[in-house]
Amino acid sequence: MRILVVDDSSTMRRIIINTLNKIGYSDYAEASNGREGVEKLASDAIDMIITDWNMPEMSGVDFIRAVRANDQTKHLPVIMVTTNAAQEDIVQALDAGVNNYVVKPFTPDTIRERIQAAIHG
Amino acid sequence: MDMPPILTENLVSAAGEVFEMMIGQSIEPHPEQPHQPPSGWGTHVAASVSFAGHRSGLVCIHTSLDTANTIAGAMLGIEPEHVNGEMPDAMGEVANLVAGSFRTRLAQHEPASAIAIPTVTVGSDFATKYAADTARVFYPFRMGEQSIYFELLLMQR
Ligand SMILES: [Mg+2]
Repeated sequence: MRILVVDDSSTMRRIIINTLNKIGYSDYAEASNGREGVEKLASDAIDMIITDWNMPEMSGVDFIRAVRANDQTKHLPVIMVTTNAAQEDIVQALDAGVNNYVVKPFTPDTIRERIQAAIHG
Repeated sequence: MDMPPILTENLVSAAGEVFEMMIGQSIEPHPEQPHQPPSGWGTHVAASVSFAGHRSGLVCIHTSLDTANTIAGAMLGIEPEHVNGEMPDAMGEVANLVAGSFRTRLAQHEPASAIAIPTVTVGSDFATKYAADTARVFYPFRMGEQSIYFELLLMQR
């Protein structure tokens, strides 16, 4: 299971990757915005995406739309990890095609639960 | 122009939650502290995120360099003395988390504003000045023995 972690903050990528390691997922790739995420998906065999929303160059919502518009990647489970938790944000993310949602700030237990739920269907 | 209480309440609760959940540190309001970050900090770190829309302004976190390294170390799970180039990104993400949580809390009462990506300034002698028609308030906090100031700036519409 290779997981692509997309966030403009290297600190937040590290926190997510540390959590993945703790729950037994040590195979991951990183990207610092949606555009880099699209490039990684084209060059790397990715099984799941964890993405931030607010990022320069290409936001998480635009990235998810690009993932869903591509036949090669449209089936991938996508978890969004974001501070954007207003009702209208959640509607917009669901419309874009997100499978699961984690609101920052989160505890490692929350992120672990959502990742396991996404992995096990 | 005074700061509306709803903004103060939501900034203070967002900041407390972010420090508790993402940094594993509790912070306490400390009204006896000076009402501006002290000039004797040596190197000063200011991490800010602006917001615009229904309300426009800025959330900024001010600390000494030592405190910023403590915060970065706690987020990354490393000792503060081993923190190096990671600090600006970590402090920018703290500002992003506090501003984002503040925005989400306000969105329960009013239309959501948009937030920008963080800016981090590190230096020993600088001041930030804004246009005259703003409300600007500093909120002093303690994290153990260390001091942290949250700043909220609101543009007059
Ligand atoms: Mg971000």
